[in-house]
Amino acid sequence: MVAIIIVGAYVLASLGRSASIPANIGPFLGVVLGLFAVAHIAVRRLAPNADPLFVPIAVLLNGIGYVMIARLNPDLAGQQAAWTAVGITGFVITLAVVRRVRSLERLRYTVGLLGVVLLVLPLVPKVGTAPINGSKIWVRIGPVGFQPGEFAKIALAVFFAAYLVERRELLSTATFRIGRFTTPDPRHLAPVIVAWGFSLMVMMFQRDLGSALLFFALFMTVLWVSTGRASYLIVGTTLFGGGAYLAWSMFTHVQTRVAMWLDPWQDRSGKGFQVVQSSYAFAWGGIGGTGLGLGVAGRIPYEETDFIYAVIGEELGLFGSTAVLIAFLVLVGCGLRAAVTVSDPFAKLLACGLTTLLGFQSFVIMAGVTRLLPLTGVTLPFVSYGGSSLVSNWIVLALLVRLSDEVSRRRPVLDDATTVITVPA
Amino acid sequence: MNRRLRGLALFLVACYGALFIRLNVLQVFDADDLNTQPDNKRRIERDFNRPRGDIVTADGRLVAHSDEERGQFHYQRTYPTGDLFAHVVGTYSFNYGSSGVERRYHDQLSGRTADFQLGGITNPFSEEPNVGTVVLTLRSDVQEAAKQALGDRKGSVVAIDPRSGAVLALWSNPSYDPNLISTNDDSVAKAARDLLAASPDKPQLARSYQERYFPGSTFKIVTAAAGLESGKVTATTPEFPKARSYQPPLTTRELSNFDGSTCGGNVVDALRVSCNSVFAQMAAELLGPDPMIKEAEDFGFNQTVPIDLPQPAKSVFPTDFGKPLRDGANPGDAKVYENTPALAISGIGQGDVSATPLQMALVAAAVANGGTTMTPHVMAEIRDRDAKAVEKFDTSVWREVMTSANAEVLRSAMVDVVANGTASRLGIEGRVVGGKTGTAQLGTTPPRSHAWIIGFAGDPGAVPSVAVAVIVEGQPGASEQTGGKVAAPIARSVLEAALRPISSPQPGG
Repeated sequence: MVAIIIVGAYVLASLGRSASIPANIGPFLGVVLGLFAVAHIAVRRLAPNADPLFVPIAVLLNGIGYVMIARLNPDLAGQQAAWTAVGITGFVITLAVVRRVRSLERLRYTVGLLGVVLLVLPLVPKVGTAPINGSKIWVRIGPVGFQPGEFAKIALAVFFAAYLVERRELLSTATFRIGRFTTPDPRHLAPVIVAWGFSLMVMMFQRDLGSALLFFALFMTVLWVSTGRASYLIVGTTLFGGGAYLAWSMFTHVQTRVAMWLDPWQDRSGKGFQVVQSSYAFAWGGIGGTGLGLGVAGRIPYEETDFIYAVIGEELGLFGSTAVLIAFLVLVGCGLRAAVTVSDPFAKLLACGLTTLLGFQSFVIMAGVTRLLPLTGVTLPFVSYGGSSLVSNWIVLALLVRLSDEVSRRRPVLDDATTVITVPA
Repeated sequence: MNRRLRGLALFLVACYGALFIRLNVLQVFDADDLNTQPDNKRRIERDFNRPRGDIVTADGRLVAHSDEERGQFHYQRTYPTGDLFAHVVGTYSFNYGSSGVERRYHDQLSGRTADFQLGGITNPFSEEPNVGTVVLTLRSDVQEAAKQALGDRKGSVVAIDPRSGAVLALWSNPSYDPNLISTNDDSVAKAARDLLAASPDKPQLARSYQERYFPGSTFKIVTAAAGLESGKVTATTPEFPKARSYQPPLTTRELSNFDGSTCGGNVVDALRVSCNSVFAQMAAELLGPDPMIKEAEDFGFNQTVPIDLPQPAKSVFPTDFGKPLRDGANPGDAKVYENTPALAISGIGQGDVSATPLQMALVAAAVANGGTTMTPHVMAEIRDRDAKAVEKFDTSVWREVMTSANAEVLRSAMVDVVANGTASRLGIEGRVVGGKTGTAQLGTTPPRSHAWIIGFAGDPGAVPSVAVAVIVEGQPGASEQTGGKVAAPIARSVLEAALRPISSPQPGG
């Protein structure tokens, strides 16, 4: 089904652009079906009891993204195809290597350190590249450039989950009093605070707002879910508010982002150009869209990466943009269902963290592109062009598949109580 | 922890729900607003990548067409007749917008009206794009006659069917080539546009309906109509004194008759020789401001002419003549106003009166059509891809100017002007032709004038089928003969062309 949609979309996009069925339809069909088959077989073999929705949804998003990229820039499409292959390879390897999620729990400090190293890597001279588009988030090793931050977030999700499971009891026991409020002893929180502050600092230096926001959301969510203390949410939100204000007052580019969020038309041909053009793209698409390949390409800067959702909105209309929205919602629903059903606390928190990463990242960029929130440059998982993002998201997906597999393996018979999470779609 | 995971789920669902609402706002509710933002080029780009209907004349000559091309856009607008119809058809340029019929009937040409949208649904398999062809009322033979007769001289020619308001010719010189401005090659278009904008002659200005001039003696038709409508003037009464000049109240400045001649008599006599003293006195003393203002406005002065072309200029008749000071000198006269001298000058079409050539053609048309002015228009009908008319111009009355009896007095007076007066060069064998010359003095040294003529022609016993107005700007001399000498031959050849049967009418028209 998903394969048919993607191949159909590809043909339509090509028809819309050049009024001919693409010559490479055969190989394309083969590659898409082949990759899908590989991912599917890997799941059947390595995680037979996993939630069957994960892979098709990811393939659908990946496929729609590929079609859009092929339609916007055929040169990038080849690379995206290669990265898709690498991503699915990463997916299979992850499934094969991580046979049990608990094995990751034992490696928490190693993984945490790895995450930190990955985060700092772009700042290291020689390895890190000069700032690209204002952000220092790239690393170049030989001919391959990648964004280690994309992988760091997985590592940190693992680390947070493991660490909080270990300290959960301590953290949720109120031992420290400030006036009328009781909070856990700050000492137990120290490593988490350090990890969070550290990653936030790195993000600030790297000028990567989107990732900073994402890390913060990940940290707060996992902390709150593990301890159940609303005080963390309050303190965290305050911290975030302060941090945001600080960022706003310190960095002109943050001020610009906020101003362009409130009224991009004040500088419609300059700093507000992207957001204005993105709004035009959505509006032009209307309800039904212009049709694949029939929109006005080449108008929005970064339309293959951050702004690909605007292209979807233009060419597939409200139907298409909503379909993508629902696909992400289903993915989030599947991830949280796994989190709810799994009994092991570490697995639970990890599922929660990974789902939060996926769900928030998708939301943040879609909200930025539609001007619901200030724009923060992150990719739309699976859809945007970009190797690091694609590969890391396939790895996230592999871990979620593994988690959902463990749920069913341990509980062959699902009782009704475990499926109360409904996903309005 | 599960309770909190459900909380997280709810939170994320809320986020996505907000996003969904935002999408609806962007893609549905605010879409029209966003699509019409001035810096959003999508709509206009789409139009440039779509076929666009032709514009053809009433006699079937193609004047605008979209050629397929491989370039920035899929189509290039071309105008096979060059400058001939530029002021009617206008231009269609990506960077400089559109004008004329291209602008006025853009929705029809691009197939965006309901007729074409529905046509596209009922026959979705047609290869032909469903866009409208605009058929003009203008005839290329009449337009060519106007262009040739005017030649290199600056001026305008307007020919109109008084019975329907259909414009038959609308020419002004200088004109321009719309191909240069409408080319998709922006550097050429910009250069052409800059060149036209820099020209002191303003070739892009459609003088025929966007520029005002002193109407001179052609305006005496309006003054005469005011007199007839007021009831104070008939074809035979009153008899105005024979004089060489006229001195209005409150001034010592005299308005002299042309070439120092002596003239007077009734309104028909006065029109025949274009007697200044009679009409100045009629306006200033006999009628006074209000009947003059009313009649001028009935003819269309101080109103926007509802022609289906963008931005027509308003013709002007002054409306403020000050306070009444005292009663008139003779019984039945109007009161004397502070500005009665200005009214005297206005009565002969000088001073603060100004009119577009189109307006003056409508004056002649009103007389020809029994006192009723029809709404002037250049679009005859819109045809779809099957050459079927989907929209016809709704012929309508614009203004009731005067009674048919008064119109008949003026009509025969104008025929008399051609038969025995200043417009003798307008006569056409076997036709009934009426006219009125005008020489609007510009007050320059050496004297220069706009040479005017308005008139009509038709078969005996029938309502005239064509009315015309011609102005030739800035001709040497100030004699009333100027209008008759210079403008009448032009008007005559245009009338002759319009009276010939239409050469190759389009099928279905």
